[in-house]
Amino acid sequence: MRGPSTGIVYGGLKYQARCITDVKADVDHTSFLAGTLSLKEENEVHLIRLSPSGSELICDGLFYHPNEIWDLKSCPFDPRIFSTVFTSGETYGASVWKIPELYGQSNAPQPEQLVSLDEHSFKIKSVLWWPSGKHDRLISIDEGNIFLWSLDSSNKVAKVSSSKDFLLSSGLTEVISQESVGMLQNLSGGAWDPHDRNALAGICDSSLQFWDLRTMKKTTSIEQAHIRDVDYNPKKQHFLVTAEDVSGIQLWDLRRPKFPVKELPGHAHWTWAVRHNPEYEDLILSAGTDSTINLWSIRLPGNEGSSSESLFDSPTTLKDSLINSYTDYEDSVYGLAWSTREPLIFASLSYDGRVIVESVKSFIKRK
Amino acid sequence: MAEGVPPMDEKAKRTRDLLASFYSPDASAALGVGGGAGVSPRRIASPDSINSPFFDPEVYMSILVQKLNMEGLLQKHVEMAAEIKNLDTDLQMLVYENYNKFINATETIKRMKNNIVGMETNMEQLLVKITSVQSKSDLVNTSLFEKREHIEKLHRTRNLLRKVQLIYDLPTRLAKCIKVEAYADAVRYFIGAKPIFEAYGDSSFQDCKRASEEAIDLVIKNLQAKIYLDSEPIEARAEAVVLLKQLNFPVDNLKTKLLEKLEDYLLKFQDEYKDTGVSACNATESSDIGQLPDTVSVGDISKIIRAYLIIFPDSEKRLIELVQKLFNRRYGIIQQRIKERMTPADLLNMMRAIWEDVNVMDEILAEAALPAFSLEAARSIVQQYISTSFSYLLDEITDALGKSQQTQKEVVEECPYQNTLEASKKTIIQGSLDLLLDFRQLLDDNLELLAKLTDLIVDWVQEGFQGFFEKLNEQFLVLCGRGYIANPDSCQVDAVQMDKVQAGLVLVLAQLSVFIEQSAIPTITEEIAASFSGGGTRAYEHGPPFVPGEICRIFHSAGERFLLLYINMRTQKISVLLKKRFITPNWMKHKEPREVHMFVDLLLQELEAVGMEVKQILPQGLVRRHRHSDSLGSTTSSRSNPTREDKLTRTNTQRARSQFLESHLAKLFEQKMEIFTKVQHTQESVLSTIIKFCLKSLQEFVRLQTFNRSGFQQIHLDAEYLKNTLKEFVDDEAAIDFLLKEVVGAAHERCLDPIPLEAPILDRLISIKLSKSKEQSQTSP
Repeated sequence: MRGPSTGIVYGGLKYQARCITDVKADVDHTSFLAGTLSLKEENEVHLIRLSPSGSELICDGLFYHPNEIWDLKSCPFDPRIFSTVFTSGETYGASVWKIPELYGQSNAPQPEQLVSLDEHSFKIKSVLWWPSGKHDRLISIDEGNIFLWSLDSSNKVAKVSSSKDFLLSSGLTEVISQESVGMLQNLSGGAWDPHDRNALAGICDSSLQFWDLRTMKKTTSIEQAHIRDVDYNPKKQHFLVTAEDVSGIQLWDLRRPKFPVKELPGHAHWTWAVRHNPEYEDLILSAGTDSTINLWSIRLPGNEGSSSESLFDSPTTLKDSLINSYTDYEDSVYGLAWSTREPLIFASLSYDGRVIVESVKSFIKRK
Repeated sequence: MAEGVPPMDEKAKRTRDLLASFYSPDASAALGVGGGAGVSPRRIASPDSINSPFFDPEVYMSILVQKLNMEGLLQKHVEMAAEIKNLDTDLQMLVYENYNKFINATETIKRMKNNIVGMETNMEQLLVKITSVQSKSDLVNTSLFEKREHIEKLHRTRNLLRKVQLIYDLPTRLAKCIKVEAYADAVRYFIGAKPIFEAYGDSSFQDCKRASEEAIDLVIKNLQAKIYLDSEPIEARAEAVVLLKQLNFPVDNLKTKLLEKLEDYLLKFQDEYKDTGVSACNATESSDIGQLPDTVSVGDISKIIRAYLIIFPDSEKRLIELVQKLFNRRYGIIQQRIKERMTPADLLNMMRAIWEDVNVMDEILAEAALPAFSLEAARSIVQQYISTSFSYLLDEITDALGKSQQTQKEVVEECPYQNTLEASKKTIIQGSLDLLLDFRQLLDDNLELLAKLTDLIVDWVQEGFQGFFEKLNEQFLVLCGRGYIANPDSCQVDAVQMDKVQAGLVLVLAQLSVFIEQSAIPTITEEIAASFSGGGTRAYEHGPPFVPGEICRIFHSAGERFLLLYINMRTQKISVLLKKRFITPNWMKHKEPREVHMFVDLLLQELEAVGMEVKQILPQGLVRRHRHSDSLGSTTSSRSNPTREDKLTRTNTQRARSQFLESHLAKLFEQKMEIFTKVQHTQESVLSTIIKFCLKSLQEFVRLQTFNRSGFQQIHLDAEYLKNTLKEFVDDEAAIDFLLKEVVGAAHERCLDPIPLEAPILDRLISIKLSKSKEQSQTSP
């Protein structure tokens, strides 16, 4: 590695990879799930755990996954459950998996497929869990539709004791048909509002659209093209951040969707992913195809009068913002995840399969 | 107690008390008075106090016997005996004195008796005499009474007759007075006769009253005429006013009428002045602007005002108002004229003319505080002048920039952006210098009014430049569609415009910012330092008003930002192109490549457009490497990397796993390409940055797809073709090669069956395409 590196590197992923996720429900360990993206080889899902000393990344489980993984999410209330979106050539699919009991052997059983989300007729983009806790719904997004899946509530209790009963009854799902059906909408991802389990943001070609899951109607939209990623502010309702190809990072107040509250320059090339820190609302992390990760500090206008004048700050003033830029990557960085257990730690995954866990503690102390 | 009182007083006091009790009818009161001063024996009836009226000898004795021994008693006895003796002598003295007085009184009475006896007869005689005198005087009185009454009557009649005569004479006398214009006398006479007219005017003197009133009316008329007549001496007019006032004539009306007349006069004067001003403006005869019309002059006005001041001493306030109004109007005219943009010479002429008038006026009406008033007005005028000058300059620059957008649509000029850039540059520098020259003129003029403002002007000019450049920066932002920062209300409109903004204009702005930072600001700073240093009368706490460093900083960052914005706008366009290219086809069912894909042409077209714009606006980089003169010659070099080629074919047979590791390792050993370097304001830098961005995007798009063999081959073919053609644009071959290799590598990774095209086919397809495009380029222009 060139230069001094503060991060802890995990080199266990042998293939290219895009997805990493924080195992939110694991209260005992700081752990992440990472999935590989290999066209020809057998793909793997790695359960990576930060050693208690915080100096090492240990592979705590390695599971074969039949296809290359384009999206990977960990269940927010059960550490053993995760969802993937995968493709294989022209076929695609999405599934919910359960990590089997290991019983000592650390290596590579196939994870148990709990359910396959089979209703999709377009290319599936992502699967969303409600981020704020236990909820009996699951969302999957493909290019033309949003599916709301219902978890079988009768089996919730059983789920703890028996792994088999975790079911998604696809018969109960509602399928949203879009006004302009099909590829025109070109949904490419989304985020579920952690403050409101009925609100969903979906990324389209030319805008960010917001859906009410009760009525399955579009509520509002942010007209902004080329959005790559969106993330709700976990602490402040109505606020979210988007990452775009060219304009960098923009912060929005959903009550005033016409113009961004703030703009950050983003990355030298595309800004691929952006995430709010789960604990410190003014910290934002972004990953870009210029092989860097940037840590930003933002000052959001609150509802209080004291800070309201910052609404009229020129959105192009960039003076506050960039705290640090992590450049120790060889390739584009697509995967990014804060740890919920230790909010000052984040994991990143570059395309070449390297997972790097970094701590931002030093920057927080300095503040 | 008696001890407190000195013993020598004791005796005298007692004597006095005794005497008082003797003479006074109320002994107790006298005693009370006497006792009040001393011991008040009545109240505190001490048994051993001899002097008390309640003295009881028995008790006293018993007390003495009890209290004193023999010797004491004896002593007391002696004391008492002496005291008694004293008292006896005192009593004797008193008796004697009384006796004396009695004898004296008796004698006096006797004498009085004697005197009175003779007086009675004398008195009787006197009475008789007085009675006779009285009767005689009564006699005289009665005899004279009748005559006296007659005389008095006669006297009264005479007076009355005289008055009547006077009144009958009054009209003629008044006429006489009028003839000789002795109005003062006439008024006096009339006022004298007035009470009579009031009393008898309706009856006896009707005719007379009428006649005299007519006469006095004439007087009033004459007096009024006199007042209105400007040729009369002022004193006479003032006197006339006084006389009129005596006649109870409503002078105030007269005054207001006169003042109104003056006001009309002034208005006329202003109008004429304005007319001449406007006409002079139209005729652009700047020399005439300051001149007053011939018919009226401030001198005349000042004379009139002086006269009025004397005539109506209480009208000063009104006059001041009038004069201030007059000058207010005149300054207002200047302010209006400023809005129409005028030369400093014009401004100075107008100011000077007014200032002269102000001086004339000030001599007369010092209370109007006209100089201070003028100073205030001049202040605002100069400030306004400076600010409007700057806003005009700003407009000019905006126009110069905006023109490009229009002209480009109408006429396809050779290099519109270059013209725009040059024009804007010239406007900025020349406009600023002209402004400075103009302001310099203001400073150099020796007009007293402006001399007082020198420091302020310097400040304003500096402030003006500061504000001007800040505004210019905002204006630039608005022009490139980012201006909603400055005005959150109009953001909607601006945001819509964002799409319409021409990328070229953004580039012009970028270059203009650099120009302002690097040459305009230093020049202007120098100029300001040369002629506008000093100042700072107010606010050194804020530092000097013009901070070139800050402006430079603003425009430096603005320049970078605009450049980045330009690159962003351009890459975004290309990015859309690439996105379409990669999302539309089904790459899994791609057919075998027959030719280089069309999107490459589009890409190259875009790049050419960028190149055109860049060449117009940006300077060439300092280091220019040798360019390939012949594009065809590089066909062979397109395959100058046979090792990579070999590797690709070889790895085809190997396991993908090791291939991944291999490429990974290879990447480690290769020098990491610095793709995203800092952009410079040169043609090459911008163009190569855009190309790098596009290639990087291309790579990212490729990574998102899965290809079949043909798809991969198509990408490979396109990349190889690009490798040749892109060299036309940039010299940074290494970076382009690297990025294209990355693209091919990414496609290879994302391909299920990565078998590259055979080399001859690849070469043939590329050369076909090259020759075709060459033909096109030959025929099209």
